[in-house]
Amino acid sequence: MSLVRVSNGVTRPAAATFAVDGMEVSAPAGEPLATALAAAGLLGLRDSPRGGTPRGAFCHMGLCQECVVTVDGRIVQACLTPVRAGMQVGLGGTLR
Amino acid sequence: MIRPADCLVLGAGPAGTEAALAAAEAGLDVVLIDEQADAGGQGWRAPLSGLTMPRKGADAEAGDGLRARLAASGVDRRLGRRVWSVGGAFRLDAVGPDGAEAYEAPRLVAATGAHERVVPFPGWTLPGVIGLAGATVLLKAQAVLPGRRVVVAGAGPLLFAVAAGIIAKGGEVAAIVDMDGRLAWARRLPGLARRLDLLKEGLGWTWSILGARVPFLAGHGVRCAAGRSEVEAVIVGPVDADGAPIAGPERRFACDALAVGHGLVPGGEVPKILRAAHLYDRLRGGFIPELDPYGRTTIENLYACGDGTGIRGARPSAVAGRLAGLAAAHDAGRLDATAFTALAEPTLQALADYRPFADTVAGAMALKPAQVAAITPATVVCRCEDVSRAEIDAAVDAGAGDINQMKHFTRCGMGPCQGRMCGDVAAELVAQRRGVTRETVGYWTQRVPLRPVPFDTMIGSFDYADIPIPPPAPL
Amino acid sequence: MSQAPIYDLGVIGGGVVGSTLALLAQRGGLSTALLDRGPLCREASGVNAGTLTLQMTRVALIPHAMRAHAMWASARDWLGHDVGVVVCDGLSLAFTEREAALLEERAGKRRAAGAPITIISRDEALRVEPGISDRTLMAGHCVVDGYANAYLTGQAFRAALVDAGVAVMENRGVSGLDRTDNGFVARTAQGPVSFRRVVLAGGVWIEPMMAWLGVHLPIKVLVNQLSVTERIRPVMRTVVGIASGLLSLKQYPHGTVVIGGGWQGIGDRERGGVELVPERLVGNIRLACHAIPELAGARLARAWAGLEAETADALPAAGPIPGIPDAYVCGSIHSGYTSGPSIARSLADVILGREPDLPLFPIDRLMKAAPP
Ligand SMILES: Cc1cc2nc3c(=O)[nH]c(=O)nc-3n(C[C@H](O)[C@H](O)[C@H](O)COP(=O)(O)OP(=O)(O)OC[C@H]3O[C@@H](n4cnc5c(N)ncnc54)[C@H](O)[C@@H]3O)c2cc1C
Ligand SMILES: Cc1cc2nc3c(=O)[nH]c(=O)nc-3n(C[C@H](O)[C@H](O)[C@H](O)COP(=O)(O)OP(=O)(O)OC[C@H]3O[C@@H](n4cnc5c(N)ncnc54)[C@H](O)[C@@H]3O)c2cc1C
Ligand code: FES
Repeated sequence: MSLVRVSNGVTRPAAATFAVDGMEVSAPAGEPLATALAAAGLLGLRDSPRGGTPRGAFCHMGLCQECVVTVDGRIVQACLTPVRAGMQVGLGGTLR
Repeated sequence: MIRPADCLVLGAGPAGTEAALAAAEAGLDVVLIDEQADAGGQGWRAPLSGLTMPRKGADAEAGDGLRARLAASGVDRRLGRRVWSVGGAFRLDAVGPDGAEAYEAPRLVAATGAHERVVPFPGWTLPGVIGLAGATVLLKAQAVLPGRRVVVAGAGPLLFAVAAGIIAKGGEVAAIVDMDGRLAWARRLPGLARRLDLLKEGLGWTWSILGARVPFLAGHGVRCAAGRSEVEAVIVGPVDADGAPIAGPERRFACDALAVGHGLVPGGEVPKILRAAHLYDRLRGGFIPELDPYGRTTIENLYACGDGTGIRGARPSAVAGRLAGLAAAHDAGRLDATAFTALAEPTLQALADYRPFADTVAGAMALKPAQVAAITPATVVCRCEDVSRAEIDAAVDAGAGDINQMKHFTRCGMGPCQGRMCGDVAAELVAQRRGVTRETVGYWTQRVPLRPVPFDTMIGSFDYADIPIPPPAPL
Repeated sequence: MSQAPIYDLGVIGGGVVGSTLALLAQRGGLSTALLDRGPLCREASGVNAGTLTLQMTRVALIPHAMRAHAMWASARDWLGHDVGVVVCDGLSLAFTEREAALLEERAGKRRAAGAPITIISRDEALRVEPGISDRTLMAGHCVVDGYANAYLTGQAFRAALVDAGVAVMENRGVSGLDRTDNGFVARTAQGPVSFRRVVLAGGVWIEPMMAWLGVHLPIKVLVNQLSVTERIRPVMRTVVGIASGLLSLKQYPHGTVVIGGGWQGIGDRERGGVELVPERLVGNIRLACHAIPELAGARLARAWAGLEAETADALPAAGPIPGIPDAYVCGSIHSGYTSGPSIARSLADVILGREPDLPLFPIDRLMKAAPP
């Protein structure tokens, strides 16, 4: 259903608010966007272009490209993109 | 603008960082480049900035030590840069926060690391299914659990590291599903016992797993992951010692995440692009560059080290990195033969000391051909292009004799991950279908970009008149 | 032990030229062997940009290119297999006054040779292709344009050749060619192959192949760079080039955009296309993004380089080899993916004893004395 941030004894940077297809989401500033989205319950980020099956972050290290989203209109890998207040995130991958 | 240097090091993991430090200590002007914001690579990744965790693991401490030494060194750190092109002897082109950049030096150390192998099964493309290595990143660098109820499956030590990590952070592990039987681990004990310090870490994981009373299924593999838009359950069943599924009771575990991995595959893009000689070594994870004991490739002044040259683990990678850095300095004339020998001998010995342990761990992570043979026809092998096993088999039957021809026939490996996620398994499928060796089937022809790059950053701002358009072709 | 067969025809080199020739010869009744040192169509013919355009074609080749365009468009009928051919409009853009002049001159000559190219205004061009830059001054417009998916070429030809009964010998490099009383014997590591007639269709390797017969035919090696994006949303629907011809650009139905035009990388006949020159890759991509501005939002997924052959006058080497009966050469065709099948067809006609509809390009004009 979602990634879970460990709270026990962990301190994180203050939350930043950003928009995902118009919906407001908050996450600790600097957290990888893929993590922030999954923690907000947004696991499926796009459908695969040929088979049309749902996809989400898979490798969390910048290689698989399953996590591509748009941020302020640009194609980025969500697992390599730190959360910033005010960013406009679009789901749907590179075909959007 | 090109930044000239004596030595370029690509990859600031344990291997690359040690290489850079050794070369810089010997007096070389070294540039160390990495895409990540901090040195440490995959194994010793730095926690997110601003994040503090109560307890530091051994990896975090090793990483902090490395980063502190790097900060105190004369190495020119260029972090947050994605290198997309390597060529000449040697030039690297990168994109970073300030746009496009280029670096040039007569010596290059390639230390780009490894990536995860996940042998496909039905449902492995569902959101919520992640790699084991990816799960370590979430746990160690981000203090995040992969889910509320996680099935941890696959093979090798990362399995236990992830399960123990989830438990230590207060998460729930639905089941641990290990392809290896208990016997396999018993047989590995002597090798592991050669490094008591590292064995202790493994035993610690085992303790915490036993303490949490998590269902532990040895000799089992994932049959499929089920769910509509996300993973909702994992069905597991028994496998034989080679990893092939066998008859026996299957079990279903409800979960919201599956962390699964079957070892690591050396990346090794740089020596492949520069056409160094490679050999296939199943134990070391796949095709690896031919190296001398110090990390010299078959291309003059090109060195390679770390898990990109064969899976060994973080600590041995760091030692191999130091050797490569020393060799680069020696070859550059900055370390005379005596000094080089004095420094390299103990380092070689340290690497040799790791060997039994590293080989044992690598053995647990090596590809299991019988597992690949059992992939069902409809299962997607290439995630990017949704190419199924049946399509790969059909391409081989239609005459595709090597991995690159198979790619042309099917688009398998043509997607944006550049064949990383599927390459090792796809090559194994082609080899098995043809009944030939992996050497015969070969590896993807490696090309630039090393990783996908956005055009806008690559091209920067420009005037049309300044594009050096070559003269037109004859009419 | 059965006697090794003597084929009526041996074709050495299984690119698009050799493969077409072998197919048509076999269908014309000649028992044919096709030898390649690698898999079929994995050199130029498998790695090229697949553009089937008249606006980059040399004037002398326009009739062949038009016939070949029709052959590609009907590949399913005569080849029996799909090569992903899409027929669409093509535009050749001019952004500067100098390019506009070049465009008018070049389009005029091609039109005179039969290519249906017209010059259209910026606004008309934007209607044909809404994706192009509004900095366009004018464009050459051609309705006979399109592209194939080059990487499917080998698969399609292989199946057709096997169906037709051609002896397809892949991974069978030829190291020499001996003349015998009744033809030729090709030397290969896996044993000799005999045939009565031979066609050398080795792309850039025609030069070393001709040397087997003691003939010196200099062939220059071009190292063309190409790049491709990942799949992106539709940003264009035509084939787009520029007046100078140093750009070829189109988006495949699955969403990737292939960028080419002949920017040169590093490589040679011995090692292949070994290296891309980053500045030239960037230059090529700048040009592409200038032509189709939306493209700047894409990511580069892969770039590569392949080898294209060029004779001294940049016209094909296609015809009999002077002084050597029953030996032919075919290749070094500018934009040879487009025109290759047509020129191969003319040579097949000659070998089959028919009068070709379109002329060959005999090599007497190019020959130098063999070096001692
Ligand atoms: C996700 C992951 C997690 C792992 N976790 C552990 C663990 O917990 N413990 C353990 O012992 N081992 C772990 N491993 C194994 C690990 O690969 C090694 O043991 C160790 O990190 C190897 O060190 P290295 O220096 O060879 O490579 P890495 O540490 O992988 O370093 C390679 C570096 O190169 C950089 N790089 C590569 N290509 C480019 C490019 N084109 N441009 C810019 N930078 C580039 C990468 O960003 C990376 O930082 C993990 C592996 C993976 C893949
Ligand atoms: C990157 C690139 C982009 C291009 N883009 C286009 C385009 O968009 N449109 C267009 O019309 N044209 C294009 N071209 C040109 C076109 O690809 C070529 O003209 C055409 O493919 C040549 O075909 P060929 O059969 O003559 O040669 P090749 O396809 O090169 O075939 C020659 C064959 O000979 C074989 N061979 C060599 N030596 C031996 C030996 N000793 N024994 C046996 N076999 C041997 C090789 O393995 C090879 O398969 C491009 C070329 C390149 C390189
Ligand atoms: S999750 Fe794999 S690239 Fe981001």
